[in-house]
Amino acid sequence: MAKKKTDWSPSNWPSLLFQLFTSFKLATVVLILLTLITLFGTWAQVDIGLFAAKAKYFHSIYVQHDLFGRIPIVLPGGLLLMIVLFTNMIFGAIIKVRKRWRGAGMLIAHFGMLTLLAGGFVTKFYATDGYMAMYPGMVSDRVESYRKWQLEVIPLNEDGTAEKVWILPSDELQSIHSDEQRVYTTESLPFEVVVNGYSGNATPIPVAAPMASSANGKEIDGFKLVPQKLSKEAAQNLPGCYVEFRPTTGAPLEAILWAGSFRFDPDEKPMPFQFELEGQKYGALLAKKSWTVPFEVQLDEFIFDRHPGISMARGYESRVTRKEEGEPDKPLEIKMNEPMRYGGYTFFQESFGPSGSQPGDRMFSQFAVANNPADQWPLYSLIVTGVGLAIHFLIMLIQFTTRSRKKQAALNS
Amino acid sequence: MNFSSPVSFVTITGAVTGLSLLLSGCSEPDATSSELTQRDLSAAENTFKLVETSAERFRYESRPSSPHAGGAAAAPGAGSGPSLAYTTPEGWSEKAGSSMRDVSLSFGENGEGECYVARLPGAGGGLLANVNRWRKQMGADPLTQEEVDKLPTKLLFGQPAAYITVDGNFSAGMGSTETQSGYRLLGLILASDAGAVFVKMTGPGDLVSANESAFETFTSSLDVSSN
Repeated sequence: MAKKKTDWSPSNWPSLLFQLFTSFKLATVVLILLTLITLFGTWAQVDIGLFAAKAKYFHSIYVQHDLFGRIPIVLPGGLLLMIVLFTNMIFGAIIKVRKRWRGAGMLIAHFGMLTLLAGGFVTKFYATDGYMAMYPGMVSDRVESYRKWQLEVIPLNEDGTAEKVWILPSDELQSIHSDEQRVYTTESLPFEVVVNGYSGNATPIPVAAPMASSANGKEIDGFKLVPQKLSKEAAQNLPGCYVEFRPTTGAPLEAILWAGSFRFDPDEKPMPFQFELEGQKYGALLAKKSWTVPFEVQLDEFIFDRHPGISMARGYESRVTRKEEGEPDKPLEIKMNEPMRYGGYTFFQESFGPSGSQPGDRMFSQFAVANNPADQWPLYSLIVTGVGLAIHFLIMLIQFTTRSRKKQAALNS
Repeated sequence: MNFSSPVSFVTITGAVTGLSLLLSGCSEPDATSSELTQRDLSAAENTFKLVETSAERFRYESRPSSPHAGGAAAAPGAGSGPSLAYTTPEGWSEKAGSSMRDVSLSFGENGEGECYVARLPGAGGGLLANVNRWRKQMGADPLTQEEVDKLPTKLLFGQPAAYITVDGNFSAGMGSTETQSGYRLLGLILASDAGAVFVKMTGPGDLVSANESAFETFTSSLDVSSN
């Protein structure tokens, strides 16, 4: 029998696309690729850490992987594969599938699976996570990123205060390659900001230090910026860059900006590079990206319990007051495994500091602050999927017993 | 497409669940603008510490003993200095170091020989004091400033460093009362006001003598990592 010829004319493309996205072969290929990506991504965590591996293998459209560490291959990334699988399930398992009562359980289960996938997408694009660290008595509504740093230019008052800040967003800053130079301007500032030599992890070292003799990099004010290997723990990286402030007239000013000039303790104040142009004092620094929550949290008391005789923590918890305009103050406790959930945000008791604190020392409390609109979707998805599968297996059981009974009845007659 | 097959469904369920959880890894709000954007500073964040020098800004002056907080806000990379690149000589192996040591290696059949690199801010106490500290550990008499000035040098990080050799009975100090006889110490000290580097090798005399060329290989390979 002659093989049916495929109609490739443009008018038939929608039909061809429908066939492609309802194809079981496509689902099989996607599942095989997902298996490979999961395998390679899991292995990569050993070398590059969890955060970098997730970004490279699972949040990407494509990924270049070095097979056995030496053969470069390009594979579709986890994000692309999940989009294809999502589309494939919608067309194949929801739209195309024959709607009959026997398939009701599977249809419900597939809705559950799609919810899980959709939850992944919502989390990827809309979830935030950061931290809030404070000493007792402090009040804050600002959450700082663990890993994202931005460049800030601050018009300063004489006493070191400021009202506003100009920001070069973290995604833009972190996209600058070490051998690249980019120029940024805004009409409100009388100079250009030229960024080059950006490194995701770096250390400024004095040129007089013994190690500086073999370090490359430009010398500014007695220091060189030495790039460092990226830490597997992305939150530990301290980026740095060279910055030039170019006024319309006059000589440019150069500086090394380093994330270590920000702060490591809620009590510390950031230390910007200072310069003056056209009679205005400015500061520039690399600062943690931050955002606000729609209410304030005041730390009233941090309770830190140690094991007897040693400084190791036995337990710790925070007594806080949630303050919101138009609402009465709400006293709360945040403990390990007992977070505060409010307004879509979850505050977990995460950590404490400063490190090496001794009994009686003043200590700060640190909360992990997460906001994920799809926080509970995996739970809902698994419930729906479980119910769907239960219905499906029940239907199968009824069919099996009915058929067996009929067969038995036929044999008996 | 046969999605009604329980086998294919279970396969897909497992894969999708796993990948969804990986994809669900929390992210942070993204800004895609490439221009400078403005925002107002709140009262809690509108004060800055104005320092005069880069050394202060980079925490080389008034640096706290540990600038790191206990939690994720901490940045343990800060202030630890640049990481080092080096060649581990054949037969030597990495050993667990301490917070004071940047590199810690051992050699010998039972790892009885050891070699470490340590860095200290500032001059680290000065050359004379450190040479005599090491000599004291070996039970040797202290040297005078003139004698220290005449010590041979070897290149370390491209600069001449004082080369110290001492034979004697080694006592590590730091609370240790155990003395090991017939030991030999080889060391390099490079001191400047901006920082000091110490490379010290100790072990049984014969073993250290047999590893002198390895010590040379190691010290000449030491460099600042730019990875």
